[in-house]
Amino acid sequence: MDGLYIAVVCSSNMNRSMEAHAFLAKKGFKVKSYGTGEKVKLPGASADRPNCYEFGVPYDDIYNDLLEKDKAYYTQNGLLHMLDRNRRIKPCPEKFQVSTERFDVIITCEERVYDQVIEWFGSKRSVYNQPVHVVNVDIQDNHEEATIGAFLISDMVTKMAQSDDLDNDIDELLHEFESKCQRPILNCIMFY
Amino acid sequence: MSSKYHPSSGGTAQTQLVQWINEAGMSEGNKKVNLLRKIIEVLLHQAPQMVPVYMDNILSCVSDKSTDVKRQVVAFIEELSKSYPEYLPKIIGQLQLLVIDTVIAVQKRAIQAASLVYRNVLLWICKGTSEMKDMQYVWEHLSELKLLILNMIDSDNEGIRTHSIKFLEEVVVLQSPHTNDDDDFSLDCLPSNLPFLNRKAMEEESDHIFQLLLKFHNSQHISSVNLMACMTTLCLVAKLRPKYMSSVVKALNDLHTTLPPTLSQSQVNSVRKHLKMQLLILVKHPSSYDMMPQLTQLLVDIGMTPQEINKALPRDRRNKRLGELRASENPAKRFRIDSPQSTLGSDSNSNSRSEFNLFDDDNSQQGSQQSVTKASCTEESILDGLNSLENVVNLVVTTLTNNLPTEMPTSFILAYKPIPNAGSKVQKQNLAKMMVALIKDEPLPIPTTIKSLDTTTKIPLLRDDDDKINLKNAVAKLQESTKVDKQIENAVSKLMEETRQEHLKEEERKNKDKEKPVAPPTPSIPKLKQKVKLLKLQELTRPIPKEIKEKLMIQAVERILRAEKESIIGGAAQIRTKFITIFASSYTPEIRELVLNYILEDPLNRIDLALSWLYEEYAYMQGFNRHPVTLQPKLHEKHDENYNQLLCALITQISERGDPLMEGSKDVLLRKVYSEAPVVTDEAVDYLKHLVSEEKSATVALELLEELCLLRPPRAHKFVAALVCHVLSENEEIRNIALKSSIKIYKNSTDAAKKVIEKHAMLYLGFISLSTPPQELYGNRHTSRPWSDDLYKMCLNLVMALFPEKEDVIIEIARVYGTTGAEAKRCVLRQLEVPVRALAASEPSGHLSPALVALLDACPRGAETLLTRIVHVLTDKFPPSPELVSRVRELYATRVSDVRFLIPVLNGLTKKEILAALPKLIKLNPIVVKEVFNKLLGLQNPNEEQLPVSPEELLVALHLIDPSKADLKYIIKATALCFAEKNTYTQEVLSSVLQRLAEEQQTPVLMMRSVLQALTLHPSLAPLALNILCLLCEREVWNNKVAWEGWVKCAERLGPRAGPALRALPPRARDLLPSHLTALCPVSILVVNIDNRWR
Repeated sequence: MDGLYIAVVCSSNMNRSMEAHAFLAKKGFKVKSYGTGEKVKLPGASADRPNCYEFGVPYDDIYNDLLEKDKAYYTQNGLLHMLDRNRRIKPCPEKFQVSTERFDVIITCEERVYDQVIEWFGSKRSVYNQPVHVVNVDIQDNHEEATIGAFLISDMVTKMAQSDDLDNDIDELLHEFESKCQRPILNCIMFY
Repeated sequence: MSSKYHPSSGGTAQTQLVQWINEAGMSEGNKKVNLLRKIIEVLLHQAPQMVPVYMDNILSCVSDKSTDVKRQVVAFIEELSKSYPEYLPKIIGQLQLLVIDTVIAVQKRAIQAASLVYRNVLLWICKGTSEMKDMQYVWEHLSELKLLILNMIDSDNEGIRTHSIKFLEEVVVLQSPHTNDDDDFSLDCLPSNLPFLNRKAMEEESDHIFQLLLKFHNSQHISSVNLMACMTTLCLVAKLRPKYMSSVVKALNDLHTTLPPTLSQSQVNSVRKHLKMQLLILVKHPSSYDMMPQLTQLLVDIGMTPQEINKALPRDRRNKRLGELRASENPAKRFRIDSPQSTLGSDSNSNSRSEFNLFDDDNSQQGSQQSVTKASCTEESILDGLNSLENVVNLVVTTLTNNLPTEMPTSFILAYKPIPNAGSKVQKQNLAKMMVALIKDEPLPIPTTIKSLDTTTKIPLLRDDDDKINLKNAVAKLQESTKVDKQIENAVSKLMEETRQEHLKEEERKNKDKEKPVAPPTPSIPKLKQKVKLLKLQELTRPIPKEIKEKLMIQAVERILRAEKESIIGGAAQIRTKFITIFASSYTPEIRELVLNYILEDPLNRIDLALSWLYEEYAYMQGFNRHPVTLQPKLHEKHDENYNQLLCALITQISERGDPLMEGSKDVLLRKVYSEAPVVTDEAVDYLKHLVSEEKSATVALELLEELCLLRPPRAHKFVAALVCHVLSENEEIRNIALKSSIKIYKNSTDAAKKVIEKHAMLYLGFISLSTPPQELYGNRHTSRPWSDDLYKMCLNLVMALFPEKEDVIIEIARVYGTTGAEAKRCVLRQLEVPVRALAASEPSGHLSPALVALLDACPRGAETLLTRIVHVLTDKFPPSPELVSRVRELYATRVSDVRFLIPVLNGLTKKEILAALPKLIKLNPIVVKEVFNKLLGLQNPNEEQLPVSPEELLVALHLIDPSKADLKYIIKATALCFAEKNTYTQEVLSSVLQRLAEEQQTPVLMMRSVLQALTLHPSLAPLALNILCLLCEREVWNNKVAWEGWVKCAERLGPRAGPALRALPPRARDLLPSHLTALCPVSILVVNIDNRWR
């Protein structure tokens, strides 16, 4: 029961959420990661033709697919490296909306994802009345920003874990965090 | 689950359980938690028959030290209530203990479980399978539990508050009747035969709790997380129980207009976002249909566009909604979207509830009726309001009941006149105008404050205390009520009465507000203050109307502008300048104009201010400065243009203001602006270009352009185009300046600028190959005119001026030359002469420049004459270099067959070549021939030593020309030219020429003629002539008719001296002699001749 159960959610469960997942897991937090998009989308050879996969297709398969398509290109843009990292963390990208887990904190990486999470909660009635804090930290979807974002999230989660009574402290904690990281934070409480 | 149970496994499970329970009793902390978890798992799912046996072992852990152990127990209770409700009587008491546990985490978990237990209890009661006594016991405990938690909504711990909100939500939903068809539990499911359950009382209780939640939701000191939790709860209730929908929407509306003041900026953002999300969820729900207008209005207020809203709506409601929204779109509404929504405004508008109350009632009653704030009320909005009959009636009735004095004032009697056009549109407009005036221009009414003191002080400050009191009262009442079962109903109804009373009071208060719509919420210290409160400015003041704000702003700026002298005296001139620039660059267009006019009043002295303003604008344009967020977004978008506009305004105003005082300093000012502005924009350059065409300012403008090009090299290529185009100007002066400047810039500026100049030069050069002059040459006239030499010259002037700087243009000139007509060709040749000559002079060594080499290498078609001309000029003063000679020779051999081409380099050619060309050369125009001979004879540069052909050789060569190649008369003329040069063809030269001719095997046709001419010029050559005559005799000259005639003439000329020659003639020849010559013949000879004849 002890320790926070954390979910990190981005759009495709590829870059931002996985970066944070890796980081938090390394620090010993109980963490899972998800995506809220329709599909897992990765940049393709041109902007209008992304590589799309269903959630549940293993990272390994995606890795091999891209390797076959254009090894040099996807090595150069870092996708293969990222997928390689991801497949060492967990087998496949997971969709947030189908997960049955109950978390203490859900961290989203962009406002649209935050909206989708809230909408999902709004679409069903709470059964357990267990509260969950949903917090949004805007992170741009590129490698560098994802790394910075993972640091920020880790900072925030560490603070949360240090709190004896998160429900009581969350307002103040996020306020402090916001002024430190200089990014707008959105948060609210939802119920499972 | 129990179906999984098998006796065999049950046995092992049981022993396992016993072992674990024993272990758990010995252990502590995490180990105990884990054991407990296992015990519960196995007990509930594998050995449910053992639940009653071991249940107490687990429940006894309620008093354990460890938090997690206790939470595990809560989980057990929760699970038990769901799966085995028959044990509820045993566990309900434990849950109650846990809810009031000392550890907050346990409390929260217990409250969370309580809502599930509450539901399960009701379901269990509905089943009605247990004994009445048990049910009643459980229900009583549950009611106590409910009150405990109800109390906790006021807890100091935010988490507990959150949980209790959720619990209360559950209670409200469970204890109210459902209206829609979902199969969820509701009040209707409860059996009506239970004495301890009163359905009506329960419903009222839920109503009351709902009211509590509403109050909590709109209380001032709620934390953001709880506010959002409460919002979610209210929306959920509204969704499930549509009867609460309208209250919820109103509460959300209130929240939107008055957010709690304690929230930080990001919390405000979160809350607003949450509000929007919840509203969208609500809008999508079918039960919200009736409240659609209010909901959409609220969404509009939040800042969503009708399109966005329409997108969010369910498909079947879309079109209709959009139509309504369009219809309700009016200026007042838009204003509302802006004003409370501006990001910084959240704090300032959070406490303006007292103001909004003014119309709140109308708003709630009339649904979509637009609420109007004082700040936003305009004539239209009031007129709109007046068009609603209901509004007018309400207004009149309220005035009648509240404001009407008992006696009619005398002033009224005096002033009153019946309104003639009552109810007409005009009258309504007038009325609206008057009302606006009343609302806006109200003098700050200090005297009225005494009257309104009691109401105004209460409203913002007492409200939240009221809330708390209400909450406490309610809780207390409820607690009391449970003690005496029978009194429940009474108590609740009493409670309801109380709330109703309170509601009425509030209504009354609002009405009073309404009576004094002009009274501002004056600051005063609340008498009933319970806590020390910080005085918040926002609570005490209200926003100034925008118009007034702007007016004040302008007045303030005006004052600062007027304080020019004072600021200098006070040493604040610099600060003042800084102020003005900031005002001018960051605020409204009106202020910009104000400052601009101020500068233009006395530009000479205020130019520095203008420049610093320019720099400020530049900083914004480049993003070095940021506009403060307080400024209107409209202004933000435009600041790229502001710089340009300001710059253009300054220069146009300076140059076009007909101020006689400024006339003299115009040039100075323009120069200053142009040279000191951080960037000269394209428009400013265009203006300069335009100035050139103005009579007065042309020179200055041109100078400025030149300066700009030279002083701002990075952008020179942009400026130079404006300058270069004036080389086509009709005005010769402008043309010359432009030309000179262009060349100057060309010499000093960047490659980019050079390219522009070259491009223009090429363009203009290209004009001459057109059949009619292009538009560019017309100047301001619209009629076309034919080509003239002047026009050609104009087109050529730039390229010709460029030629000395960049010789490569010669190739392009030659190319164009090849395609033009004769007139143009002539002009080009003439124009080119001077620069080429200069070029030749600059390199006296005779070295050829690369451009010329290139031209010679690849002479464009049709440009041969140009080439000839150039070569000619090059060799005019200096002997041709071997390089040139060889190239010309090559060209002559391959392409240019015209012999004239060779003329310039004649002296560079070999003797053989010259002699080969000679027949062609002498056939040319006599003047040219003369020139050729001058050249060949070295007459033009007498110092020339090395002539390839000596005069002697030349003359000989002339005589030897094959008559079939050149007509004799040309040769005669040529020889005549030679003979004319007496200095060259001296007696000696001629004699050697004649000698050499005589030596020729074949007597040249013209030899005798030349002998005669030589004899005429130099009579002393007679012996030589005699020699020749004799020589010819030997060659039987009489057989050659032409030579014979010459011979005879020569002999005649020699007269008696010709005797020896005559004597040498054989008698046959002598017979041919004319008689007077025969006479000269010596007798002896004659005799001989006679002898011969006769023999």
